[in-house]
Formats: sequence, structure tokens, C-alpha cells
Amino acid sequence: MLGLGADRLWADMNRLLALLFHQGVLDEQFVQLQQLQDESSPNFVCEVVTIYFHESEKLLKNLRGLLMEREFSDYKKMGIHLNQFMGSSSSIGAKRVRNVCVAFRAASEQNNRAGCLRALELLEHEYCYLKNKLHELFHIEQQRLLAAGVRYPMQN
Amino acid sequence: MCWIEYQVLQLLGEDKAVQLHAVEESFTGTLSDKIINSSMVMLAILIGLLTILTWHFTRIYTTKSLNSLAYGLRNELLQRPISRMWNIINSTTEITTAQLKLSEYVFRRYNKPATQAEQVELYEVMRDITWALFASRKALNAITINYKNGFVQAFHRDHRSNNTFYIYSDLTNYSISAGGSNEINLLSSHQSWKDQSIHGNISAIWYQEPLDPVTGEKIGKAKPIPPDDLIKIAGLSQVPDGVASWHVAVSKYTDSPLLSAALPVWDPSNESIVAVVGVTTALYSVGQLMKELVEVHSGHIYLTSKEGYLLATSTNAPLLTNTTKGPKLMMAVDSEEKVIKMGARWLQGAYGNNFSQRHEIHAENARLGQEQYFIDSFFLKLKRLPLVGVIIIPRKNIMGKVDERAFKTLVILISASLCILFIGCICIFILTNGVSKEMKLRAELISHLDARRRAEASSNYKSQFLANMSHELRTPMAAVIGLLDILISDDCLTNEQFSTVTQIRKCSTALLRLLNNILDLSKVESGKLVLEETEFDLGRELEGLVDMFSVQCINHNVETVLDLSDNMPKIVRGDSARVVQIFANLISNSLKFTTSGHIIIRGWCENSNSSFDIGKFPLNQKKSRPAHKTKLKEQGSHTKKACKQDNRMTLRFEVDDTGCGIDPSKWESVFESFEQADPSTTRTHGGTGLGLCIVRTLVNKMGGEIKVAKKDGPGTLMQLYLLLTTPVDGTEQHCQVDFSKQNLVVLLALRGRMGRLIMSQWLHKIGLFTVEASEWNELTQILRELFRIRSSVYNNGFDAQFSLSEPLSTKVMNIKDMRNPAFIILVDIGLLDLSTDIWKEQLNFLDSYFGKARFAWMLSHDTPNAIKMELRRKGHMLMVNMPLYKEKMIHILEAVIKERNLEGQKKSSNTLRTTKEGDLHEYLEIDATQFDVASSDDSDISEIGSSNSVSGSQTGEKRRERLRKPGSSGYQAINNCLVELTRVYSEENYSTERDPCHVRLNSHDVQNEEPKCCTRASLSSEAQSESSEQHLVISCPTAQGNIYSSKAANEQKSLEGVRILLAEDNPVLQRVASIMLEKLGATVFAVGDGLQAVDALNCILGAEDCIRESIFEDRNTRTQTEIKDFPSYDLILMDCQMPKMDGYEATEIIRKSEAGTGLHIPIVALTAHAMSSDEAKCLEVGMDAYLTKPIDYKLMVSTILSLTKRTA
Repeated sequence: MLGLGADRLWADMNRLLALLFHQGVLDEQFVQLQQLQDESSPNFVCEVVTIYFHESEKLLKNLRGLLMEREFSDYKKMGIHLNQFMGSSSSIGAKRVRNVCVAFRAASEQNNRAGCLRALELLEHEYCYLKNKLHELFHIEQQRLLAAGVRYPMQN
Repeated sequence: MCWIEYQVLQLLGEDKAVQLHAVEESFTGTLSDKIINSSMVMLAILIGLLTILTWHFTRIYTTKSLNSLAYGLRNELLQRPISRMWNIINSTTEITTAQLKLSEYVFRRYNKPATQAEQVELYEVMRDITWALFASRKALNAITINYKNGFVQAFHRDHRSNNTFYIYSDLTNYSISAGGSNEINLLSSHQSWKDQSIHGNISAIWYQEPLDPVTGEKIGKAKPIPPDDLIKIAGLSQVPDGVASWHVAVSKYTDSPLLSAALPVWDPSNESIVAVVGVTTALYSVGQLMKELVEVHSGHIYLTSKEGYLLATSTNAPLLTNTTKGPKLMMAVDSEEKVIKMGARWLQGAYGNNFSQRHEIHAENARLGQEQYFIDSFFLKLKRLPLVGVIIIPRKNIMGKVDERAFKTLVILISASLCILFIGCICIFILTNGVSKEMKLRAELISHLDARRRAEASSNYKSQFLANMSHELRTPMAAVIGLLDILISDDCLTNEQFSTVTQIRKCSTALLRLLNNILDLSKVESGKLVLEETEFDLGRELEGLVDMFSVQCINHNVETVLDLSDNMPKIVRGDSARVVQIFANLISNSLKFTTSGHIIIRGWCENSNSSFDIGKFPLNQKKSRPAHKTKLKEQGSHTKKACKQDNRMTLRFEVDDTGCGIDPSKWESVFESFEQADPSTTRTHGGTGLGLCIVRTLVNKMGGEIKVAKKDGPGTLMQLYLLLTTPVDGTEQHCQVDFSKQNLVVLLALRGRMGRLIMSQWLHKIGLFTVEASEWNELTQILRELFRIRSSVYNNGFDAQFSLSEPLSTKVMNIKDMRNPAFIILVDIGLLDLSTDIWKEQLNFLDSYFGKARFAWMLSHDTPNAIKMELRRKGHMLMVNMPLYKEKMIHILEAVIKERNLEGQKKSSNTLRTTKEGDLHEYLEIDATQFDVASSDDSDISEIGSSNSVSGSQTGEKRRERLRKPGSSGYQAINNCLVELTRVYSEENYSTERDPCHVRLNSHDVQNEEPKCCTRASLSSEAQSESSEQHLVISCPTAQGNIYSSKAANEQKSLEGVRILLAEDNPVLQRVASIMLEKLGATVFAVGDGLQAVDALNCILGAEDCIRESIFEDRNTRTQTEIKDFPSYDLILMDCQMPKMDGYEATEIIRKSEAGTGLHIPIVALTAHAMSSDEAKCLEVGMDAYLTKPIDYKLMVSTILSLTKRTA
């Protein structure tokens, strides 16, 4: 523990982040988000991402509901949902989710229901992946903060 | 994903187009055929109808009228012989009746002649009467009287011999007694009369006496003739029932039939017949008449009896046949005349034997033999002798002409119509040919349009694709850069790793730039590139560029020289990023192909014709102005205006290198895309061949031209000119110190030949003495020479072991003559021998001249720190980085002059001088690096179109600001912010005073916010060096050194005090954006949609009318900072797509409500759509700027700053 753990966790976090970047799950926007986090808003990233998850789950539910309707025709509404999803995804830097959204929107613009369904599957998958990974990240972050709390202030 | 999508779109498009095309083809093909066919058929039908109708009408009407005419004629023709016949018959009847009456009278007179004498007398009287009648009628053939007793009296006229005879029977044979018997046998008188007469006749002897036809006198002897030989005497047999009878008779002596009538003469008591009177008329005259008629009218006429015996014809054919029993009447059918015979047969065939029963027959088209005839028959009803008249007229006679005409007309009509048809067909053919040609052209046009549409669509797809690709490509790059930044910010890197990572980061930035290049090109090609118009310092940009490239140049052992003439305008208007891009491409291109030698960028100004006068301003402003003014006055306002508008400059540039050169045949093609002069260059030098293409399109876009020019030596000479406008106030030349009076001598000890040459030329031009040295030995030699001479006053005997070349020595001699010269020695660090430790010795050597001259050191970027330290230690504070250009030189000169002046004032203050120098040194370095930041900023920003104009000017402004206050920039900036803050707040006082209801509400905010602000501000200003470094890593990942810290810190809190209304429905974005802005010191008020945004704004507008003072009194002490928080917003960030009311609508409403008040709250659009059309729409509804999601930190800051500063 004592200080070393924090460094290790920091490295872990970086590794995880790097992995997510390499996989294209996240992009530079997330870094920007992290940069915004400081003493004045210590939990900012977590907070935003939580809002994002909350919002996204609602949107996903709506989308699924829309697509499951028997006589489905409200592509416009779906487009609005997708735009929102895209906006929020791109602002937290969830790149892959965003890309799937783009494809989804393209499918919905072409009134391609099968494509929409496929895209929805993909979107849910990507979203779950992102959620898991971010949870993992925040978990590490929390641990790191705990570990960092052990450090003595003079170290800084 | 995007790629597939794009392909699918394309496929869809093609499919549609193919269908469309097929439809078009079939449409045009069948249509033209149909038109031709139908029009021809129509024409044919029309003409045919016309022909037939014309023919029909002409023919039918003519025929009809002619027919009626012909009918009349035939009727007339026939009527005449019939009337003649009638006449004959009538006259015969008359005569007969007359004879009868006379006979009756005579018999009454001599009733019952008793004696022979009386009998004879009776006969005499009868003879005289009869003669009288006979003579009166020349046409009569004979008149006979047959008495009861058998006595016969007759007059006969032979028309052929024209003789007249009197025939009588022998008187003696007849006794009067016979009369007695008559009386006895009254009832059977007939029988007895007959028998007697027969007997008597047979036995009687008739006498024939020729008579004088006129007088009736007996002219010859009577000669006996057999009874009934010459003429037929009508007897009782002819009048069986005692009434008149008619019949046609023939006689031996005439060849025409005779018409004979018989009437009985009754005795006065009307009981018995006493005699029979007979009259015979020849029908000869009827025939004559017919002949006459026929002669005039042609044709044939004949009369037959009811039985069909011919009575009269218009021909000469005989009417009688000679049989053994004497002549007999002939049937019409047997007539010798062919026509009559055939006509009669035709009639018989057509109407049967009893055709005469029907009254009239009119046949128009009877074909007899070869010809056609009209046949008409008339029925003439006479008692006991019905007659039939037939007229046969050849059709030819009447209708011949008509038929001929009709035929001719028909032929003419048909031929005419055929002609018309033919011509019409040709016309139609020609016409339709034209039409079909037009159709074809139209079809072609349509297909062309289609092709164009497709091309447009595909280019649309392309641009879309590129837009997508740009994101796809940039994102991984951004990820790489971001990851590298993470790495760099990681403390646990060794120095080497750090440098490697930094190198990687540079490379990735370069790669990103290449991508941007490609995208730029496509942008330019698709015409979407819009050049912005901002003022920028061209010289500074180019200097920065040269600075940048010099690093590379030195590696290549190539010298970069910037040679801008003095008449170049300092500030020009244009797209700085693009201009820099042009030169960056050109220089990097030259650099690529130049292994040794130099690259010279020359620039001079060439005034365009229209602004010739204006162009002179910067050169000799002060002198020419009065003269110019008068001239202007003379020329009038027109030219004045023109001058003001047309300050366009033609700026000419040359990029001259000593590389491998370009083959003259390739001079044009190198500017094409993906084209390189030599294919092998890609192998050896790399590159895509895009650079020059971009350069040319950009230059052309700026109204200039670029070409490869001929050059004497090896290498390439690129010449280009740009048309740039200079702002009217920007033409003011910065005031230069007049160096020529300062008695300065510059010793240029530079390795690069060209740079040295150009610099010394320029220095000469501005009136300075220069001495050049290219290597260490030369430098030492010159130094010795110079200062030996100086010191020769004291040390005359020193002999120079180095001999100077002739021109140099004369120069030195000239310098010797100067009074109190100040020496500036510019030493290239490359002159020192850095490989060994000799440089220390060399420095020591130079130290000996330290007091006599000012040293300025030209460092290269890789100059080891040890040397710098050493130099600094030795007090050489004037250090500049390697490429030496005018601006640097001027700075050096100014520094030296200032120092000298200072020295002159306070000779003792050595320490002060060093600090000054330190300042200067720092200033120069900051200046150089500042540019780097600015340029990187620009390159980033330039992707986003017009909004970078804002940031461009922003950085420029900042730079200038920095120039004015070197050194304590960080503190200064913070102070500025605070000052600004308080100023704004104090302004707010005025408004907050009047709103009692809102202050309370906001006072919480005030209290919460204010301390935070204060602490943050103080924190950042106090612990600036620490926090700024931290911020640097966060906010500005490109920064690499301490130098940036002040700037970063400045930027960090740059939005201090700005109140921003954030309208954003997406909670995530809302949170992110507000945190971002709060980090920057801004106060953020977030609302969920456009409606709320409008409401929030309306509150303020309404609130301004309210007055509130009481609360203000309460807090009087702290007003300045506390009552700041009445929310009048400095700026609105507006998401475009929101529920309830979207950003566009909200903006429109806000702008409308502002219309009267003169307020203008800047509105910045936030949108996820990064297409230019969205931008246009945003600006159209009244937004001031445009940011895309995800929000770019730097861009947002610069945009907000530019907007808020403008309003403040």
C-alpha cells in the first residue's frame, strides 16, 4: 500500500485507458474531460459519465421500444434520439458508441428496419462494453484515490 | 461503416439513374416514330378526302345539271316529231271529218236519187267537193269514197312522181235498184252491202285519170286499172261498228307507211251507211322532220306502232319489207339500221314486249354495241292507234365533254393530290426530322443533366465521404496524440523516453498536417474553401516560418535566407494561415530537394496600377504627403475614393533554392495533383506531390499566380505573386530608428554565404558599415586589424602577421576614419569549434574584445546548453536563434543603441545593463516561440473555417500585447482580468440597483460565487508557476516548456467574469460544457431548452426597468464585487437541436426582442453537425459563431473571448 499502491493503480488506470484508446472505445474528448477534473470538481468525470449512463439507458430503452413497435414508422423520432445519443457520446468521448450511432442514424434515415435492429444490437453491445470498462476505470480510480489518501501531503 | 454506407448510397443512386435513362430512351424513340407515322397518315387521309370531295362535287353537280338539260333536250327532240305526227293525224281527221260532213250534206241534198242522172249528179258533186278538200291538203295521199252501191271515187297523189290521179269505178255496173234492196233489207244491209261490194268490186273496172295537181283538170286519158291495185279504198270493212277507224297501211307505190282513216257516212235518217270516206296520209313527212332534227342533234329517232312496227325513223333505212304478198310493215327489231335495231332490242330485253304500256322510259346508260346511249321512249295515245316514240342519243354527244372533263379533272386532282401528298410527306419528314433531332438533342440534354446530377451527387458523396473520412482519420491521430500527451504527462519517463515520445508526437502532428493537406486539397477542389480576411503581419509570419524551417535546414546543411524588401507592407489583409501554408509548402519542397546550398525567400512589393499613388505612402510618407494631398484635391473625390478602396498590393515572392532543379518540360505539370517532377523522387525524398498543387490552388484563389522561372545556376526558382489588400491604417510603416547616424559598424561573422551577403547589402542600404567574415580565422584577423588600428595610437609597432584582402582592408580603412564607432559583432556559433574544447579558448579570445564591441551570438537550435551557459556566464546576453533576418537584426541594433545610450547616461550601472539585456534576450526568445504557438494554433484552427479569423486576430492581438509588456506577463494578465472584472461589476451596479426582486435571489449566487472567484484568482496569481504548469499539461498538450506557462495560465482564467447562458438539453453535454467554462472562470447558467433560454433573457430585459435601491444600501460596503450577479449574460451558448424550441428559433426570437434595444448578446451555436450548411444556417438566424460537438477547448475559449471582448 503506502504510496506504492497508488502508483501502481495509476499505471493500471493509464494502461486501461490506453487499451480503451487503442480499441477506439474512447477518444481524446475523454482526456479533455479528465483534464477538466481538478480539486474544485473532484468527481467530475464520474459524475458526467453517470449522467451519461443514466441518459443513455433511457435513450436505449426508448429506441428499443420504438423499434419493437409492430407498425414501426417513427424514424424521425428515432433520429432525434440518436442525435442526442450521439451528442452525449461524443462529448464524453465514447467514440465507438458514437460511430455505431452514426451507422444507426444512417440506417434509420434509409428506413432500413433490419439495419436499425442490427445497429441497435451493436449499440447495446458497445454501450455495455463501455459501461463495464468505465466502471472498471472508476473503480481503479477510487482505489487510487484511497491509496493516494494515504500519502502524506509533503510529498506533493 | 461509413465506407459501406457511401457505397450503398452510390449504388442506389446509379440504379435510379439507369431506370430513368431507359425510360427516356424509349420515350424519345417511340415518340418521334409515332409522330412521323401519324402525321403522314393524317396528311394522306386529308388530301384523299379533299380530292374525292372536290371531284365528287364538281362531277355530280355538272352531271346533274347536264342530265336535266339533256333530258329537256331529248324531250324536246321527241316532242317535235310527235307533235308533227299529231298534226298529221289531226289534219287527216279534220279532212276526213270535213269530207264526211260534206258528204252527208251532199247526200241529204240528193236524197234518194231516183234517176241515173241524179245519181251521176250526186257523184259529180261529190267529186268536186272531194277534189276541193284534196287540193287543199297537199300532204294527203289519197281521199276515197266508197258508196253503198260499190261505186268508188278516189283522188290519189303520187309524191314520188308528183302526179295526181282521179280513180273511179265504172258507173254502169251500179244500178239504183240496189238502193232499193238497201232499203228493204235495212237490218241486213251490212251483209248485203258487203257482199255486193265485194262482188261488185271484184267485178268492177276502175279508171285512172291523171289530173293537173293544181287545177284538177283532166290532163290525160282515163285508163282502167284493177281495183285496189293502186290504192286501197276504204270500205265498210274498215268501219265495222260505224265509227271512225285508223290504221297504218302500206301501198305498193310508196316506200313509207301510210296512215289511213275511214269514216262512215250515214244517210240523213241516220239509219244506214251510205258511203265510207277514207283519207290516207303518208307518214313520210314525219320521217323528214326526224331526219332534220337528227341532223342537228345527231342520234336516232323512230316511231313505232303499239305492236312494234316501225312507222318513221330518222334514217333512210326502208320501213317496209317486200314480201311476196307485197310490201309489209317492218318491226323495229328487224330494222336495217343497226342502232335502231339494237335500241329496240335493248328496250325489249330491258322492259319486255309490252314496254309501250308504260308511259315513258328514260334510260341513261344503255350500252349498245361499243357505245353508251341515252334511250328515251314516249307513249302517244291515239284511239286505235297508239304510237311509241323512241329517241336514241349517244351519250358521247351530250355527256362526252362532261365525262372527259370529269376524267381530266379526276386525273388532275389525283395527280395534284399525289403531288401534295408527296410534298407534304417530305415536309413532314423534314419537320419531324427536325423535331426528332431536337428530341434527340433534348434527350441528350436530359441525359447530360442526369449525368451532371449524378456527378454532383457523387461529388457530394465524395465530400461527405471526405468529411466522414476526415473524422475517421483524425480521430485515431487525435487518439495517438492524446495518448502521447498522457505519456508525456506521466512523470515516470526517463529523459530519453521523454524526447522519443516528444519526437513521436511531432511526427504525429506532421501526419495530421498531411491529412489536413489532403483534406484541404479536396476542400479547395470542391470549392468549399473560403479565404478569410484578417489582418496579419506578413513579415512576422514569414520570419516564423523561416525560423521553423531553419531547424531542418541546418540538419541538411542548407542555409535559409529571408530577404524581404523594405517596401513590403507590414500589415496585410488576407488569410494568414493559407499564406503561411503556401510558403511552408514551397519551402519544405525546396528543402526536400536541396542537399546543400541555400534557400532564399525574396519578397517585394509591386504596386498595382490602380493604387500606384497609395503604394508610395509607406516609402516616403512624410515627404510626399503634402504634395499628394494637393494632387488629390485636383483630381477630385473620385480618385480619392478609388485610392481608399483600391489599396490592393501585388506582393511578389521568389523561392530560390540550389537543389536538383526541375526539368523545364515539367514546369507546368509539377503543379498537378500527385505529380512529381521525377517519379523516383517519391522513393528518395518521399512526399505525395500534393504540396505544390495546394499551393497553386491557394495562390490562384488569392488572385495570384505561381510558376517556375528560369534560373542561371542549379536549382529551382519559383516565382509567385499574391494580391493582398493592405488596411489603410496598416500602411503606416513602423518607425525605424535611423541607424545610419549611429556610427555603427557591424561585423558579420556568419557561415552562410548568402545570408551574410544579403544582410550586409541591406545594412549597407540603411547606412551601416559592415565587415564580413565567414570563418573563425577571418574573424580573428579582422578583429585584430580593426582593433589594432584603434589601439595603434598606443601600440604602433604591432605588425599584422595576417594580411587582409584588398577590399576588406579598404573597408577597414574606412572604418578607421569613423569617429567613435560602435562595433557590433555577430558571431555564428558555428564558427566556434564545438567538436573539441577549443571553443572555450575561442571565447576567451573574444572576451578580450568584450569591452570594445558588442557581441551578438547566433545560436542554432542544437547549440549545447553548456555553451549557452558559458556565454551567459561571460556576459554575452545578446543571443538570437539561427536564421538571421532583418527583424532580428533590427532588434539587435536597437538593443545595442539603447544600451549605448544608457551607457552614455549612467556609465556606472553595469548591473542594470545586464538585467536589461536579460529582458531583451528573454523577449527575443519569447517572441520566437510565441509564434510557434500561434502557428500551431492557426493550423489547428484553420480546419474549422471562418471561426478561425476570430482566433487569428485573437492571437495576433495577444502577441502584440505581449510585445508591449514583456516579462511580467502572467501577473499582468491576471491583473487585467481582475481589473476587467471589477469594471464590469461596477457597470452592473447601475442595473442591479433597480431590481429588488432579483437581487435577493441572486445574492446567494453572489455570495457563493464571489469568494470562489476571488480565491481562484488569487490562487492562480500567487501560485502561478506551479498551477500554470499543471494547467499547461491539461489545457494545452502541445506545449513543451516553461515558456508557455504564462500564456497557459493566462488562458486558463481567460473567461474570468464572463457570464454565459448555456442552452443545452443533453445533460451530459451540459455538465461538460459548464465545467469547462467554469474552469475558465466563467459563470455558467444552464437551461434545458430554447424556451427557457428566451425566458431567462426576457427576465433581464424586463428587469432593467425596475428600480431597486434599498438592497443596494444594505450591501453598500461590498457592492463593487458582490452585486455583480444580476444575470445579464455576456454570451449564450446555444445548442441547435433542442426539444420545445430549437436553437435557431430561440436565436431568432432573441434577436427580434433585441431589435429595438440596441443590445446584442453574442450567441454561439453548438451543433453536432459539422457541415458548412449548418454553419450558414446558424449565421443566418443571427448567431455570431459556431462550435461543433465535441467542444474543442481552445477553439471555444478563443471564440468566446473574441465575442465578449468585442462587446466589452
